[in-house]
Amino acid sequence: MSMHSDLFHQRFEARFSDGRTAGSREIKVELTERGIAILQHEAGEPLIWPYGALATAEPLTDHAIDALVTCSYQPGATLFVQGPRFARALAKLAPQLTASAERWRSASPWLWGAVATVALSVIVWLADLSPARTIASMLPDKARAAMGRQVIASMSEGRSVCDDPSGKKALGKLTERLASATHADRPFTVVVLDWGLVNAFATPGENVVLTRGLLEAAEGPDEIAGVLAHEMGHGIELHPETGLVRAMGLAAATELLMGGSGGALGNIGIVLLQLSYSRDAEGQADDHAISILRQASVSSKGFAHFFERMSKRDGKASGGLGKGGLGGMLSSHPETGERLAKVLAAGGYDATPALTEADWSELKGICANTSPASEQSEPPDDKAQ
Amino acid sequence: MDTQTTKCQPAPGVHLDLSWLPPIGMIGLSVANFVYRLLTLGIYDFWARTEVRKRLWSAIRLDGEPLVYTGTGKELFLGFLIVFGVVLLPILFVSVAAILVFGPNSAAANLVQAAIYLGVVVLFGLGIYRAQRYRLLRTSWRGIRGSLEGRSMPYATTYFLTMLLIPVTLGWIIPWRTTKLQSMITNDARFGSEPFAFRGSSGPLYAPFAVLWFGVLALFFAASMISGIVIGTIQGALGPGGEPSEAIKQVYGLALLAVFALAYLFYLFMSAWYRARTINHFADCTFIDNARFNGRLTGAGLLWIDLTNLAILAAGSLIVMALAVAIGGLIVTIAGTIVPAGSLTPDEVTAYAATIAAPLLVVITVLSFTLLLPVTQARSMGYLINNLSLEGTLDVDKISQSTADPMATGEGLAQAFDVDAF
Repeated sequence: MSMHSDLFHQRFEARFSDGRTAGSREIKVELTERGIAILQHEAGEPLIWPYGALATAEPLTDHAIDALVTCSYQPGATLFVQGPRFARALAKLAPQLTASAERWRSASPWLWGAVATVALSVIVWLADLSPARTIASMLPDKARAAMGRQVIASMSEGRSVCDDPSGKKALGKLTERLASATHADRPFTVVVLDWGLVNAFATPGENVVLTRGLLEAAEGPDEIAGVLAHEMGHGIELHPETGLVRAMGLAAATELLMGGSGGALGNIGIVLLQLSYSRDAEGQADDHAISILRQASVSSKGFAHFFERMSKRDGKASGGLGKGGLGGMLSSHPETGERLAKVLAAGGYDATPALTEADWSELKGICANTSPASEQSEPPDDKAQ
Repeated sequence: MDTQTTKCQPAPGVHLDLSWLPPIGMIGLSVANFVYRLLTLGIYDFWARTEVRKRLWSAIRLDGEPLVYTGTGKELFLGFLIVFGVVLLPILFVSVAAILVFGPNSAAANLVQAAIYLGVVVLFGLGIYRAQRYRLLRTSWRGIRGSLEGRSMPYATTYFLTMLLIPVTLGWIIPWRTTKLQSMITNDARFGSEPFAFRGSSGPLYAPFAVLWFGVLALFFAASMISGIVIGTIQGALGPGGEPSEAIKQVYGLALLAVFALAYLFYLFMSAWYRARTINHFADCTFIDNARFNGRLTGAGLLWIDLTNLAILAAGSLIVMALAVAIGGLIVTIAGTIVPAGSLTPDEVTAYAATIAAPLLVVITVLSFTLLLPVTQARSMGYLINNLSLEGTLDVDKISQSTADPMATGEGLAQAFDVDAF
């Protein structure tokens, strides 16, 4: 403190309130080595407020023209000194009271926290960890099934479900054949919506939605089998669940930042429609599709042809497909060719058509009979093990 | 002069001069707070708000001595965490659960959503009262604290029920409602041992309200009529069946826009005028000891402060956006030189940049408007204090410390609810 000796023993006029009443009186104060000396009476010991126990009404800055000081030793009491001289001297003797010191003191834990958060995010990203995937894999089957029902319900709002009995029977056969080749002991449910869009979606709880447009665009049962196996691959990898958990997490984070009442999560079907899977996810689904088709003795050529045809069509008239489902599968990334080559190369085993000619035409006619989606409170009963 | 004093004895107490000492360095504070908020991913906001309050409170002088804000950023932060955990998260959970259980857009889910909205409105009143209580408890002058010694539920109930009546009464309950709510807060407020009192009714507000109400109606009809005349004139000039050209359509649009912009400006002025009348009336009705507040706000004064504040916020936003674009451009340029040639196609680089930039841009846009918020807050509060005075006397030696225990009302976990996280 000796370096500040020029600041000591100057007297300042001040107003002192003891904090018991709202009255105040004029007194004199002095800055000393030990603290602020409050000279209550001309004679007698001054009251000392040590620098370390002080607080000011506002952080001290270079612009300060006065200072209101309190001391934790004497709660309620205030000392008000006018003029910039006292405030500036106090800023030197008690530097913890300056605005920059106070700001750094309250911000530094959070600054380190922010650095740690960013570092952790980078690590999670670099190590390819997915917290959303972990949460998705911990969801009980019932919750996943409920999510799936809601997604299908909101996707099919205003549309009908195709449920011609013989068509459903054929679809059941195809689903059964592929599902039993999945290794995973999971029941898959497949629904066809009366919807002209050419698309297919995996939805939570091992559900797959196909559209009438897709059935019409397909040139044979092997093509549908390929698409279905690809979507099953997404389902096995819990991609739809992961996507929804991530979207919900983002929505919750947004609510946290902006304040809200959960309205953003209203329509999870729309959320899923807008999801697009990463290239890695598409690659994983392709791998599953190849393996399922091989196990089920269905040729992967159909899948490859459909893939090729659709990506050409997509290239000509972009925007024909949504971002989810097939849109992602067929998006015109440079590696589409690579993926196509991988699927084509997977051939070379004995295969039989995915469905008989008769079953295929039954399946194509599944939308001959439709019912409003709202009547389908429970998923159709063609669960296949 | 009141009856307690005789001619020979002066009234007990002193006149206290209420004044505003404009805070210096608010722009520097704004910039520092903004930078710290960005670097701490927003969490510093609670401490930033606290420092702004300390500066603003300090600028309010009573008898030359500053008001002191004793709240801390930590209290605001804990209050937010508790409200988030106890109110916001359950609301989020219940809405999502209702959608999952009953289905989206089902009657039951909509019912749950409606119930949540109603509940939030009740919480609104609760939040206003409790925020007021926290602020008063954390405000002191000469070491004497303020307090709000009442319960928040009656206020919240009044707030909610009278709000339901606003559409039913075509708005005519508003003067009565705001006066009732203001009197509830004022009559619960204390400065140390000294209670505030609200003496007055909503009566004097009804004439200005009628002017506002009929004024808005007249404005609407006038604007509609003038635009009708504009359209009619152009149609008439074209003759029957004449198809207006693009240029004429643009003139149409501009003329209509001008009419409605003018009408809106008129509306802003009228509502500012009504707001000034309300604040003055409330000030005049607020008593403490032998003193009473007096308000001299004007509609033009309020409107000027509001409009210039808006311009200041917009200027701050522009500065932030320009800086963000410059820094973003710099980062993309640096990234372009670091990424090895050929590993990513230009399309992919653009796609990656857009993925990262889009959410950041939204955050920066929203935040950018808050850059100079402290400056505008200081201007608003300065205008208010400069146009308020305290008439009469206060017996300051008689006013003792609040009987409300500062520990019990300030630091306890249950009281953390009182923190104004709303």
